[in-house]
Amino acid sequence: MAPQLDLALKHAPLRAPAPLFERGKPASGPRSQPGFMKLLGALAFAFLLALPFIDASAYTISIATSALIYVMLCMGLNVVVGYAGLLDLGYIAFFAVGAYVSGILTTVLDWPMWAAVPATILACVLAGIIIGGPTLRLRSDYLAIVTLGFGEIIRITANNLDVTGGPSGIHGIPTWSFGDWSFRDGLDLFGLHFSGTVLFYYFVAIVVATVGIVGVGRLARGRMGRAWKAVRDDEDAAEAMGINTYFTKISAYIIGAVWAGLAGQLMATHLTAISPNSFHFLYSALILMAVVLGGMGSTPGVIIGGLFVSLAPELLREFAEWRYLIFGVLLVVVMIFRPAGLWPATAVLPWLRRHKPQAWPATAPLESLGGDDRAEVGPAAGARPAPADPRAQDPADDGEVRR
Amino acid sequence: MSALLEVRDLHLRFGGVKAVDGLSFDVHEGEILAVIGPNGAGKTSAFNCISGFYRPTSGTIDFEGRSIMRVLPSTITRRGMARTFQNLRLFKEMTVLDNVKTAMHANLREGFFDTLLHTPRYRRAEEACAREAQGWLDFVGFEGDEQLYVTQLPYGEQRRVEIARALATSPKLLLLDEPAAGLNYGEKQGLMRLIRKIRDLGVGIVLIEHDMGLVMDLAERIVVLNYGKEIADGTPAQIKADPVVIEAYLGAEDDEALDDTTLTGMVATVDDEVPPSGDAGGRSA
Ligand SMILES: Nc1ncnc2c1ncn2[C@@H]1O[C@H](COP(=O)(O)OP(=O)(O)O)[C@@H](O)[C@H]1O
Ligand SMILES: [Mg+2]
Repeated sequence: MAPQLDLALKHAPLRAPAPLFERGKPASGPRSQPGFMKLLGALAFAFLLALPFIDASAYTISIATSALIYVMLCMGLNVVVGYAGLLDLGYIAFFAVGAYVSGILTTVLDWPMWAAVPATILACVLAGIIIGGPTLRLRSDYLAIVTLGFGEIIRITANNLDVTGGPSGIHGIPTWSFGDWSFRDGLDLFGLHFSGTVLFYYFVAIVVATVGIVGVGRLARGRMGRAWKAVRDDEDAAEAMGINTYFTKISAYIIGAVWAGLAGQLMATHLTAISPNSFHFLYSALILMAVVLGGMGSTPGVIIGGLFVSLAPELLREFAEWRYLIFGVLLVVVMIFRPAGLWPATAVLPWLRRHKPQAWPATAPLESLGGDDRAEVGPAAGARPAPADPRAQDPADDGEVRR
Repeated sequence: MSALLEVRDLHLRFGGVKAVDGLSFDVHEGEILAVIGPNGAGKTSAFNCISGFYRPTSGTIDFEGRSIMRVLPSTITRRGMARTFQNLRLFKEMTVLDNVKTAMHANLREGFFDTLLHTPRYRRAEEACAREAQGWLDFVGFEGDEQLYVTQLPYGEQRRVEIARALATSPKLLLLDEPAAGLNYGEKQGLMRLIRKIRDLGVGIVLIEHDMGLVMDLAERIVVLNYGKEIADGTPAQIKADPVVIEAYLGAEDDEALDDTTLTGMVATVDDEVPPSGDAGGRSA
């Protein structure tokens, strides 16, 4: 074990003593939490792949594509708001950066669409650093205001520049092409004719959203994700754990920006036209709402939230004017009855709630149990002062670190 | 041997309040130093200066011979100084195991793309991280379920987790801010043994504590603060006999000896004002 540890850990003056007992392998069956989520994900993925075979109408596929774009956006904002706890009210700005960068590169400079992908990522990383760099030193309420302003600045800039096409935006964004072949040429596959470009975008959106969902899930469970959550839960304690909170926040911001940028590029190709109106503050609010509604920091929750905000207006179409009212009422009801979201991050699957905690084996030596000698907590302890609520002990000491 | 931590003439003012007013002490490897003093004496403020959260008005702080003034708290931790907080500050929406794993952040060889692509490096790092975290949890005697959220634990267990988390940063020096606050007698005994066990690993310990009985038993040296001023520095025996300390602690009742029972009694009267809470003593085996 020791050489393995040396590969995994940097030089550290103090290493933990070996655990007193070996924990069993974590459960991984379909009834365990990770197993169940994988199963659910696989089913959802299969459904997405099967959808065109069920209903290949342009309307359905187009709605499904924009729903996937929304989900991608929500996954990115979930990193910023849900994991890192940074309130971002101008998130749609990064969506705009992605859409405009890929739009300009492919129309003005005639780049092929695939070549614009790394450029989009780079532009979003830069945008994240430029915006996040100075603002992430601010407390979160100031951050909200600054990001709100940033969202508006991007939109108004796009509205006024020539290269972005002004208020009418960019038109005729080309489709994906690889050499001679482009999506427009169509393809026959599995007895299904991919005639238009609509169906292609749908599959591209599936790939991007899947990578986005799996990627964020992995990051959240790794070293960086733990740092994000630590900063969210207690910034000072995170610093005390050796986490540079400033860089941690910027990293979350950049990930969010890149995810939004890729979603923006998807949308630019999907709609073939973009204009400043697509990046209104309203959309920032809508995405934020999706994240909060679904459950901050919860992948399944945020996906549900994203699907809800993108599909509900369509499903409620027959109510015409009334649909936004119904939409709003639904939201309020959800937030009253499920304040932590539809699928909270801390949710435990119902059949796992009463699981038995792991027990110390009877063989563990008593004196190694951190030295809590039970013999001393005998009758003698009863005569001692009763345990008190620690918070009441020192009422003057409210905040530990006051800055 | 040169000292691990050298604090010289530390001052910290908040407007008109002199929170710390001339504090100097040394800590060596494997030594337990206690800092005592009444509420508001400036103990926590001194800790916050040393760990980088407050910027002292004047004075010097050297850790392993290098100044750590104007250094970020996270950098100080990476250099080998860990701390706990007076009011437990665990990551509330993370599990016990994740809380401890988080502290290994700086020591883990796991890059962004390792995490994203689940490379062998990632698996190795996560395995080692979990194993170290479990090792520390076992070391501090945490017996609960490490998959629970920390808020689901009884108070005493949360204290243990906080110490495990501080140890997981791999410190040479550990600052403990009132670790025994809110613990019952049995838990305090366990804590004392744990602190000695940590010292035996070669870690220097600075301990803020109210319970004099505990401090007298545990510390090799004691620094006494009063209104930010350092009024005494010596062995437990010297401190016990120091008239200035007795004056500061007991005021007019200086005919009473400064011993275990008096001060435990003092703390007990404070404790008695609140009903005993169930969770503080909930460590049934
Ligand atoms: N951030 C702050 N701003 C203003 N005053 C503070 C701040 N932190 C501590 N103090 C003051 O400094 C003094 C020392 O407090 P503290 O260090 O918490 O004492 P102790 O930990 O010994 O009980 C107190 O008078 C307290 O009110
Ligand atoms: Mg204090």
